Amino acid sequence: MANADYQGAIEDWGTSARRWRTVSAYLKRNPSLVVGAILLLILAAVAIGGQAFIDYRDAAPLSNRPSRPPGADYPLGTDKFGRDLLAILVYGTFLTGKVGLVAGFLGVVIGAVLGFLAGFFRGITDTLISLFTDVLLTIPPLLVLVVIATNIPGKLDTDQMAIIISLLAWRQPTRQIRAQVLIMREAGYVKTAHLGGTSRLGIVFKELMPNLIPYLMASFVLAVATAMLASVGLEALGLGPQNEPTLGMTIYWVMLEGAFTTGLWWWWSTPLIALITLFVGLYLVSAGLDELANPRTRRRGA
Amino acid sequence: MKDGGVMKGLSVTDLRVEFYTDDGIVKAVDGVDFTVRPGVRTGFVGESGSGKTTTALALMGMIEPPGRVVSGQADLDGLDILSLTEEEFRQQRLATVSYIPQGAMNSLNPVARIETQILDGMADHGHHLRGSEAADRVAELLAQVDLPPNVGRMYPHELSGGMKQRACIAISIALGPRLLIADEPTSALDVITQRRVMETLGKVQETIGSSLILIGHDMGLMAQFVDEMMVMRDGKVVEHGDVADIFGSPEHAYTRQLIDAVPSLQRKPAAAPISSPRQDRPTDTPLLELDNVGKTYRKGRSRIEALKPLSFRLDGNKPRVIAVVGQSGSGKTTLGSLVLGFETVTQGTVRFDGENILRPGKDATSRFRREVQAIFQDPYASYNPFYKVDHVLSVPLRNFGVARGREEALGHMVEACHSVGLEPAQTIHRYAHQMSGGQRQRLMVGRAIMLKPRLLVADEPVSMVDASLRSIILGNLATMKAELGASVIYITHDLATAYEVADYVLVLHKGRVVEAGVPETVIGDPRHPYTKLLVDSIPWPDPNRHWGAGGTLDEEFAAVAQADLSEPTIIRDEVAGFQLGQGWTG
Amino acid sequence: MRILQRLLMMVVIIWIAASINFLMPRLSDRNPVEEMIAASMGESGGTMEGIEEAVADFERRFGMDRPLWVQYANTVYDAMTFDLGISISYFPDRVSTLVLQALPWTMGVMLTTTLLAFVIGTPLGALTVWPRAPKWVNAVVPIVMILAAIPFYLIGLILIYVFASRLSWLPTGKGYASGLLPDWSWTFAQSVLTHAVLPAMSILLASIGIWALSMRGMMVTVQGEDYMVFAKAKGLKGSRRFWRYGVRNAIAPQVTALVLTLANVVTGAVLVERVFSYPGLGSLLYQAILLNDYYLIFGCVYMLVLTVGFSLMVLDLVYPLIDPRIRTSVTD
Repeated sequence: MANADYQGAIEDWGTSARRWRTVSAYLKRNPSLVVGAILLLILAAVAIGGQAFIDYRDAAPLSNRPSRPPGADYPLGTDKFGRDLLAILVYGTFLTGKVGLVAGFLGVVIGAVLGFLAGFFRGITDTLISLFTDVLLTIPPLLVLVVIATNIPGKLDTDQMAIIISLLAWRQPTRQIRAQVLIMREAGYVKTAHLGGTSRLGIVFKELMPNLIPYLMASFVLAVATAMLASVGLEALGLGPQNEPTLGMTIYWVMLEGAFTTGLWWWWSTPLIALITLFVGLYLVSAGLDELANPRTRRRGA
Repeated sequence: MKDGGVMKGLSVTDLRVEFYTDDGIVKAVDGVDFTVRPGVRTGFVGESGSGKTTTALALMGMIEPPGRVVSGQADLDGLDILSLTEEEFRQQRLATVSYIPQGAMNSLNPVARIETQILDGMADHGHHLRGSEAADRVAELLAQVDLPPNVGRMYPHELSGGMKQRACIAISIALGPRLLIADEPTSALDVITQRRVMETLGKVQETIGSSLILIGHDMGLMAQFVDEMMVMRDGKVVEHGDVADIFGSPEHAYTRQLIDAVPSLQRKPAAAPISSPRQDRPTDTPLLELDNVGKTYRKGRSRIEALKPLSFRLDGNKPRVIAVVGQSGSGKTTLGSLVLGFETVTQGTVRFDGENILRPGKDATSRFRREVQAIFQDPYASYNPFYKVDHVLSVPLRNFGVARGREEALGHMVEACHSVGLEPAQTIHRYAHQMSGGQRQRLMVGRAIMLKPRLLVADEPVSMVDASLRSIILGNLATMKAELGASVIYITHDLATAYEVADYVLVLHKGRVVEAGVPETVIGDPRHPYTKLLVDSIPWPDPNRHWGAGGTLDEEFAAVAQADLSEPTIIRDEVAGFQLGQGWTG
Repeated sequence: MRILQRLLMMVVIIWIAASINFLMPRLSDRNPVEEMIAASMGESGGTMEGIEEAVADFERRFGMDRPLWVQYANTVYDAMTFDLGISISYFPDRVSTLVLQALPWTMGVMLTTTLLAFVIGTPLGALTVWPRAPKWVNAVVPIVMILAAIPFYLIGLILIYVFASRLSWLPTGKGYASGLLPDWSWTFAQSVLTHAVLPAMSILLASIGIWALSMRGMMVTVQGEDYMVFAKAKGLKGSRRFWRYGVRNAIAPQVTALVLTLANVVTGAVLVERVFSYPGLGSLLYQAILLNDYYLIFGCVYMLVLTVGFSLMVLDLVYPLIDPRIRTSVTD
């Protein structure tokens, strides 16, 4: 009851100005969402905006003088193989982001459909989907990915990588969405809508879906984070795309060449900082969305 | 009983509690003085926000930030408990002042046995009992609240609601406190269980000889239980005195209002004006017809007969309020769901306007949806949290084509708010969680009025709202019947409110109608042992009419068990426009 | 009944794993035997002549010349009878020997640190929403929660840089100093311990926050329950309310999560062990994958499935003790 948002005139009922004021008032109360989003936006700006200024070829080996410290020519220096680390930052972040978004998106779409079917229709549909998901959930994801990745014939590219990762990325969303739909379909407001003449389909899309959106968003962010974690992990093991300058691949070379002992601190710090910003940003956004989806935790710190 | 200390009781002077919120300082308790004499039962009465619970929490030293006790003394047998430090206060809780919580369902630690929860409180006050000594003490305490000793070994989820509340009482009296504070101890319980818990509480209080404060909003319960009563409003004491005096001649208008809010047999409201039948379509087709309708749930291999075959006909030309009364598990809510088409019958047919609601013709579906509306018990759950509350109003307006365009919709919504006394500008921009429970329920009633249904299913519409609102909402139902010509199926556990609004009462017990008739007959002169038990357990707002006129609870339970085996349905009166019967096929 | 269900589930998973393990390499175009023989011939300076025969000989030994369905039946039969076969890459070592050698390293570090992180993180998370928590809690918790967002191995990299490379306090990797032979001497034990510090630290730092975060969420819910109010009204001491009423009720989902984490400890270890060249199961698995040694891969997977199944069974047995209300389903 703290905010006076509900107060005031009745004339602006149903206008967009009223809606926007509600949204901005909410964002002020959820700093973790805002800070996380800012971190991710900075990375996105670097990864997308930077492509206008930096040549993709600079991220390839032997394209520049090797082992240069940061300076006028190379703002972030170059690695032992002559890759420009600024180019790696731009294109590596872009590629890692792409894999995560594609895999996370596929995962959430598949998960949302399966979870919704299971939760809304229940019965045998639910039993089959849940059993399938549960069995697959007990299998460690990295393991399956590693097995698949090593056995893909020929050279992997980031698109294939995204698809491989999405093969497992749908499991958590399926569980989460199913659980949520199971709760929501029994909600009192479903009855109210029914009484208000809303059709079955209308109830799904107008009553349930809007309430699912925070969960879908949270699921999506979580799925993206998990997918990125998996892709960077695979790359760091040397199992990712060999010919593309991903951040994980850079970490792989750092570990293989022992960059710590050779004193090339800029080699490992660039991808490391990019990755940490990425994961912390995703974490904060996901924590913020969690609060949005689950108002109960708003009481935290009381 | 405790030794030492002079038995002077509790004397509170100038108690003030303030809450520091974003909107400024809220004076929850604003200069309250009172005394509770030793061994006396005092009732704190008031609606939510009156400060009665805050006063009690202050006496327990349990005001949490942003709240703060600003001033005041509370002298309990010579000790000013409000001047104690946190740790000193902790030692006094349970030992001198004990609290019996609201919400018996969740007040016990779900992962600990009852005996553990009795003994840990004692242990933290220096009474470490072990072995047979502990077992004896637990059994003794449980016996005081009429629970068998094996309850000590049980977990809360293995107990019924009434048993849980009695276990809470056993915990609270473990150290023989001098003051017991019971905060709406029976709010979640039905009348019969309420009677048992209150009888237990009364007996225990007399045994240990403590003072007792009963917090509540139910004037009936107060009349039945307390010696003195203190009426609170907006943090101040409105009236304090002997319970018989207050009921006999309340000095303050607010007190009178609270007393009047409780339905009572003595004051049956003037019969609503016989409204003219709806002019639009007088017809022979009954509005609602239940033809041998039954519902059986299957759970694993067992079958639960929630509703035994029931037939009735409500013709709708003459609007009627039919009350369906029963405890939880009686099948009353199942009946409502079947009528609304939310659940499918396992036998028989529900017809609305002559059409089977499960297989209606094309336009019959939308007519059924439009003309049958409902109000549910939990007003909060009825609102979609994603939308502001205007959603529940605008959606049916649009779906049923009542309003064209924004302006017309807004007009209807404003009217809906006004019809239940809500200020539109302060209502439609809110989310449900920004409104009080009473406001939410009133808006649901406004919604029903706005849609002008021919049949309204009201499932416990007032069980979660304050007493004064209760009569307003019941009044709204009467208005719907009188002015809109809507028939109402009023589902409730509360015979008293049924008495107030109903034209005809069905008493449901274990899925079967045990007694039916007009309220004056059924409630004024119950014949079936179960109806008698229900009527006997109503806490009438009359200090001279006592619980248990029909015998002790145990005797009455035995009679009901006997009747379940043999007694047929007792049907006594007839009312025009409604027939209870044995099934039709036409 | 429950146990039987679990056993059945494990059999199904082992069967699926065996099938995937059977299918995957046959779909890829690499021939591990050929690669292995070529590699060993290269090392011993032999010629490539006769490699075809050698390969054929090896394949006979591994049964690869038989019809596919016989191979499949054999794979599944062996899996069900705990016969893990012989490693291709470490020929002629048995897979079970290799797995059992690596197991103590992984379990020593991963198990200890996971439990430690749980024991530290859980009360820490609970304290963040406890009104009378010490002041330092609110300073420490945001840090560990941010750390929880960062993968183990990236923290490992930073730790290596700071403590091994710059400060030279601790070794950069391996299970023990290279000059030593495993025995029960004090020197060896000391070497093992110092080598375990950084891997352990990286896991601890990254996972305390995970436990704290989930516990905080649960504790918020529990704090709002009526029994917490009644516990205070009963005059219970703060510590009893915190542990017996608060933490005790909030902990059930934590325990489920702990068991699942322990079950997946080995895969979690792959990257950390790789970063620190630690001789555990994760490294073994990594080697097996690189060399396409499916017998060894399957051995590791088998171990994992056993751990998962066993952990879930333990959970089933323990859960009723944690929550008396739940006597049946657990993982939902």
